[in-house]
This record gives sequence, structure tokens and C-alpha cells, in this order.
Amino acid sequence: MSRRPGVQDLDLAIARLLALGTYLSVGLLAVGVVLMAASGISPLDGNAPAFELGRIPADVVALRPVGFLWLGLIAAIATPLVRVMASLVGYVRGGERRMAFIAAAIIVVISIAVVLATRGER
Amino acid sequence: MIAGGFAAGIFGSLLGLGGGILIVPLLTLGFGLPLREAVGVSLVSVIITSSASASVYLERHVADLRLGMTLELFTAMGALVGGLVAFLISEQVLAGLFAGLLVTTAMTMARRREAPSAAPTPLVPVEGAPTAGPAPRPAPVVVHRLGLGIVGALFAGLVSALLGVGGGIVKVPVMHVVMGVPLRMATATSNLMIGITASASAIIYLNRGGIDPLVAGPTGLGVFLGATLGSRTIHRIDVRYLRVLFIVVLLFTAWQMAGRAFR
Repeated sequence: MSRRPGVQDLDLAIARLLALGTYLSVGLLAVGVVLMAASGISPLDGNAPAFELGRIPADVVALRPVGFLWLGLIAAIATPLVRVMASLVGYVRGGERRMAFIAAAIIVVISIAVVLATRGER
Repeated sequence: MIAGGFAAGIFGSLLGLGGGILIVPLLTLGFGLPLREAVGVSLVSVIITSSASASVYLERHVADLRLGMTLELFTAMGALVGGLVAFLISEQVLAGLFAGLLVTTAMTMARRREAPSAAPTPLVPVEGAPTAGPAPRPAPVVVHRLGLGIVGALFAGLVSALLGVGGGIVKVPVMHVVMGVPLRMATATSNLMIGITASASAIIYLNRGGIDPLVAGPTGLGVFLGATLGSRTIHRIDVRYLRVLFIVVLLFTAWQMAGRAFR
């Protein structure tokens, strides 16, 4: 795989982005787990809360553990997606058309996953 | 659960495995979770460890971002299909497939030779290590048989989504043996690809109630901490005996999983 001088720093930029996303998601999960312990909630209770995006801000403001846990999980899942988006920008700026096309195609595949997931029955 | 995730993370890190192969049996056989839910939790855990280690691999120029992105387009497609299929097939079939994966992994580990180039790169930079920080950029890699690599990537994505693993057991041999990528780079690039592969299916699991945050939080946190500690201690531990022990554990777990499949 060839490398062009215009995008030589892309690897480092992506590396920093991934590290940031990891620490953000782990930090949010850690807050959620601490709040879980403080609230006496056991993961084995069998009361799995449903995923409702709209409820997360209220849960976070109310310091409910589930809000931080969902945020941490979303941050974890979104980190690789943000990496692909950042790569797309880098490749477009560097004039790497083929890689830009591949990055765009990955985003399309993930978008299809989101559409299929939200249309599917729980 | 944090301790279980920690153990999965540290063992996976020391033995060069993704956490998924350990997390799914831990949650199903150890904590009695439904297999599909365990797969969803495992997917999130492998995304976290993939992002953490990929950042180090990229910084050191061990992983090839362009090769990884080219192949992950197809692992993501496979994962998309796998994520949908996983909700259509029975838990018994999934358990049977997982038992097969465990046996395959045990056999691969038993055949593995000690090779310096195959040693996994630490998840986080080791203190005082000469390779810490940006490394000199290696020569560009020339890949062969891209078509076969794409087929392998599609299959790896399918396996990842169905069983909640990173799929390195498929991707690394495909890249190394079929495409001629150096083993160390194949391992690092496979790790980089796990994130987007697992994300494609994790989105489906998330929206279909396949991820319990109360389980995923402690497990993901434990796996991250365990993998971080494992990567810091890997240079001080002789993993040969650990590997033998682990093969036995994998085969025993495969037997337990097979029992669930034929229940």
C-alpha cells in the first residue's frame, strides 16, 4: 500500500483520535459502574434497561448509572466510525481518491446497518 | 463481572487473543447470560480493546491503515449480514458454532511456534521500551491476491458478528498466508479492523436489545483494565505454560458449549 507525503501524518492523527475515544468511553463506563455500585444495582438482576436515545440526557443529569453506561457504550461504538470519517477527510485533502472512495463506502455500509437496526423489531 | 472481564482482558492480552473468545463463554457459562446477549456485550468489549491497541499500532506504524480500511469495507459488509442473521438462528446453533471456534482456536494455539515477529504489540507503550513513541515508517507493503483477501474479510466479518469475536483467527492467516503481509503487520492491521467490523454489528445488537448496559459496562471496563495490565507485563512473563493451560481451558469450554448446543 503506497503512502503519499500529503497524508503522512494521518496515521498519527487517527492514533490520537482512537486514544481519545477509548479514554472517553472507558471514563464514562467507569462513572457508570461506580454509580451502579453506589446505587446497589447488580448486573445480574435481569432488568436490562431498553436503549432509548432520548432518555440518555435526562439520565445523565439525574446521575443515573444507566445514562453514563449508554453514553460510554455509544462512545465506544462510535470511535471507529469517527476514525473512518476522519480518514475520509484526510484522504480527500491528500488527493487519495481510491482511499477516499473506500472510506465513503464504509460509511455507507455502517449507515445501512443503522437504518436496518432502527427498522428492525426489538 | 469486572473481575471476569479483567481476567479475560489480561489472558487475551498475554496470549495475543481478542477478548471475545473468553468473554462470551464467561458470560454464558459463568453468569448464565443468553448467548446472544453475551455476544452483544463481547462486541463492545472488543471495540474498546481494538481502539486502544490500534492507536498504539498506528502511532508506531505497525498497522497499515490503507490495507486495513480496504479490507474492513468487506468485514463490515460481512458483519452487517452476520448481525442480522444472528437474530434469526437459534441459541443452540450459535453455541455449536462457538464450540467449533473454540476448538479451532485451541488447535491454532497448539500449533503456534515461538517467533519474535509474531509477538503481539503491547496495548499501551511499555515504560522505557525503545519502541515507545513514533517509530520510523516501514517500507510500503505489497499485497498479493486481494480478491481472496476480500473473500476472507467477508467471512471474518460474518464470524465476528455471529460469535462476538474480533475475527483475527480468520483475518491474520488470510493477510499473512494468502496476501503475503508480514505477520506482525497482519496482526496489528487485523486489530485495527476489529473496531469498525464490530461496530457494524454492535449497532444492530444495540437497537434490537442485544446489549445490556449493566453487563456491558463492568465487563468492558474490566477487559480494558486487564488488557492494559497484560500488555505491560507481557515482557516479564513466560507465556508457554500459560498457553498450554489455556488450550486445556478452551477445550473444556468448547465441551461445555457443545453441551448447550445439543441440550
